[in-house]
Amino acid sequence: MKKLLIVFFVGIGLLAPWIGAIGDEQKPAASGSTFVIGLSPERNIFRQVERYTPLTDYLSAKCGLDVKPKAFTQYKDIIDGFARPGLDGAFLGSFACALAHRKFGAEPVARVEGLDGSSLHHGLLFVRQDSGIKTAKDMKGKRLAFVDSQTVAGYLLPLVYLRSHGIKNYKAFFGETYFAGTHEDVIYDVLEGKADIGAVKSSVYHELADQDSRIQWKLKILSRSPDVPETTFVLRRDLVPSVRTSIGDALLTMHDDPKGREVLKVFGARKFVAASNEEYQPVIDYARQLGINLKKYDFPREQ
Amino acid sequence: MKKRIIIGLACFTAIFFLGGIYIIGTIQKATSTLDRLITLHQVQILREQLLIDVKRTQLDLAFEHTRYAKGIDTVITNVVLMDEEARRCTGCHHDARTTAKIMGLQGDIQTFETALSRILTMRAGDSRVLAEHDRAFQAGGDLINQLTSIVVSTKAGLEKKTQTSLEGIGSMKTLLFVLITAGPILAIGLAVIFIKGITTPLDVIVQATRKVKGGDLDFRIQGLRDEFGEVAASFNEMASSLNEQMRNLQRAEQMKLVGEMAAGLVHEIKNPLTGIKASMQVLIEQGGFGGEDKTVLLAVLDETKRIEALMKSLLDFAKPPMPHPIPVDINNILESTIAFSLPYSSVAPRTPGSIQTVKDLDPSLPSTLADPGQMQQVFLNLLINALDAMPEGGTLTVGTAAGEDRRIKIEIRDTGKGIDEKMREEIFRPFFTTKHKGTGLGLAVSKRFVEMQGGTISVEGNKGGGTVFRILLPAADP
Repeated sequence: MKKLLIVFFVGIGLLAPWIGAIGDEQKPAASGSTFVIGLSPERNIFRQVERYTPLTDYLSAKCGLDVKPKAFTQYKDIIDGFARPGLDGAFLGSFACALAHRKFGAEPVARVEGLDGSSLHHGLLFVRQDSGIKTAKDMKGKRLAFVDSQTVAGYLLPLVYLRSHGIKNYKAFFGETYFAGTHEDVIYDVLEGKADIGAVKSSVYHELADQDSRIQWKLKILSRSPDVPETTFVLRRDLVPSVRTSIGDALLTMHDDPKGREVLKVFGARKFVAASNEEYQPVIDYARQLGINLKKYDFPREQ
Repeated sequence: MKKRIIIGLACFTAIFFLGGIYIIGTIQKATSTLDRLITLHQVQILREQLLIDVKRTQLDLAFEHTRYAKGIDTVITNVVLMDEEARRCTGCHHDARTTAKIMGLQGDIQTFETALSRILTMRAGDSRVLAEHDRAFQAGGDLINQLTSIVVSTKAGLEKKTQTSLEGIGSMKTLLFVLITAGPILAIGLAVIFIKGITTPLDVIVQATRKVKGGDLDFRIQGLRDEFGEVAASFNEMASSLNEQMRNLQRAEQMKLVGEMAAGLVHEIKNPLTGIKASMQVLIEQGGFGGEDKTVLLAVLDETKRIEALMKSLLDFAKPPMPHPIPVDINNILESTIAFSLPYSSVAPRTPGSIQTVKDLDPSLPSTLADPGQMQQVFLNLLINALDAMPEGGTLTVGTAAGEDRRIKIEIRDTGKGIDEKMREEIFRPFFTTKHKGTGLGLAVSKRFVEMQGGTISVEGNKGGGTVFRILLPAADP
C-alpha cells in the first residue's frame, strides 16, 4: 500500500507540468475569430472608438484578424477584462498597464510615441488662473477632480504631490474629490468651474490646449511630475505566440509602411516603440510610496 | 435628284438624330429627377433614422439604473450608430443655409455624446452625477426636438417635391409616347414622298419609251426636272434622232424608187425624144417652113431639149453616177465655172457690167478629194442661181478659205432678193423651185453631190440682203 501511494504521488509529480500546461492552454483569440482590443476612457469614449478604428482596421488587414475596438467606461473594467475571455489586448495608461500585468499577467508590447518624438508623459496639477490657488495650502476646502483611480497622472501623481506637501488624508483636506472619468473631462470641469483643481496627463492637456486656446489662457499649471511611460498596448497572457508576434510586429513596423504612416498620422502618433515591464517601475514606485499593493489594489470609490 | 436624295437622307438623319437626342435627354432628365428624388428620400430616411437613434439613446439614458437598463456595450454601440448616422446625414447637404443648420445639429449631437460619455465614465457624488444626468438628458431632449422639427418640415417639402417631380415625369412620358408614335409616321410620310419622287418620273419615262416603241416618234417628255429632266432631254433627243433617221430612211427608199422609175422613164423616153429632136432639126434645116411655122418648130425643139435636160437632172438626182474623187484644186474649178456660167444665166442682165464679180480665193487653200465634174456641176448650179437672183444686177462674191478641222470652206454670196427664212429648209427638196422654168432639181442634185464628196451644204441670209451658200469639204491628206 505504501509502495502504491509512493508510485501514485511520484506519478502525480511527474504529470504536474502537463496538468499545469493544460491550465495554461493558449488561445488564439478571446472571441473566436474576433480580436478584441479594449480602449481606456482616456478621452470621450466615443471619440476614442473613432480615433482607434483606423488603427484596428489596419491591424485587421495586416494580421488577417478581425480586430475590433471596444470602448470601456471604467479603467477598472478594462483591467478586469483580462481576467476572463472577451478581451485580447488593450491600450492602457502606465498605471493601468502595471496593474494589468501584476494582477493578470498582461504583457506590454508597444508604446505610443507622440508627434513630438517622446513616448513619455508626465502628470500635471492645474487650476484656473482666477482661482487664487498658488500652493497646496490654498487648495484646502476646494474641489479636486481626478481622472480615475487607475491612472498615474490622474490619481497617483497628485496623491504623491499632496503627500509631499504633508496632505495624507486628501478627502478630509478637500471640500470635494471625484473621478471625472477622462482626462478631457477633468480639464473642462476646471475650465468651466465645475472643479477647482485638476490632475491629468500632459499629452492630453497639451493636445487639447492646441485645439482650445481657453486652456492656455485660463488655466495655470501648478505642478509637473517626473516622466512616466505613455499609453501602452498590452496583450493577454495566454495568447497564441504567432498572433502575439503578428500584432506586435504590425504595430512596431507600421511607421515603415506608407499605409501605416497614414493611419499613424490620423491617430496622432509618430510610431509605436517596443515596451517592456521594467519601464513601468517608476509607476510601481509611486504606488509603493502611497502604500498601494498592486496585486490587492482595489478600486477606491469617491463619494 | 441627287440633291433630293441628299436632302431626304439629311432629313431622315436629322429626324432620327434630333429625336434620339430628345429621347436621351428626356430619359436622362427623368432619371436625374428620380435619382435626385431617391437621394432626397434617402436623406429623409437618414434624418428619421438619426431621430430614432437619438431617441433610442435618450431612452437608454432614461432607463439607466433601472431594471430595463441595457448593458453598457449596447448603449455605446447605439451611440456609435447614432454618430455614424449623423455623419452620413450631414454628408448629404451642400447649400450654405442647410450646411449651417446641419453643422449646428452636428454640434448638438457632439454635445449630447460628450454628456453621455461623461455620465458613463464619471464616478462622483450623487448630486454631481445627477446634475450631469440632467444635463445629458436636456441635451438629448433638445436634439430630439430639433431633429423632429427638421424631419417634419423636410417631410412636407419632400412630399410636395415628389408630387411635382412625378407630374413632371408624367408629362415627359406623354411627350415621349407622342414622339415615339409621331416619329415613324413622319418617317413613313417622308419615305412615301421620297419614293414617289423617284417612281413618278420613272413611270413617265417608261410610258414615253412605250409610246416611242409603239411608233409615236413625235412624242416628247415634258415637265421633268433635275437628273430626270436630263434623262428626259436625252430621251427626247434620241426620239428626234430616230424620227430624223426614219424620215431619211423613208426618203432614201422613196428616192430609190423614184430613181428606178426615173431610170426606166428616161430609158423609155430618151430614144423617142432623140428621134423627135433629130426630126425637128432635119425639118428646120431642110427649110420650107417660114414665118410662124418655123418659130413653132424651133419652140418644139427647145422644149425637147428642155425635156432632155430634165431627164438628165432627174437621172442625176435619182440615180447619181458614182463619184470618182481625185485631188483637185477647188479654186481652179471655181475659176473655170465662173467663166463658164456668167454667159448662161437664164435671166442674164441686159446691161453688161451690171454684175460685179468678186473673187476672194485663198491661194493657200489645200486640195480636196472630189469628183471635179460633180463639183463643177454643183458650183454651176449655185452660180446660175445667184445670177438669176440678181436680175437688176448686183455683186457676186465667190470665196474660199481653209476652215476648221481640216475642212475647206466655199462661199457663194449674192446681193439679190434673198430667200425667205421659212423656205431655206425647203429649197434642197427635189422639185421645189421658185423659177418659172426651173426643174426644182438643181439644188437637190447639188446637195446630193456635195454629200457624196463627204461635205455639207447650207444656206443663210447675206448681210445687207441676198443669200449665201456655204459648202464645207474635207481637205485631202497632206
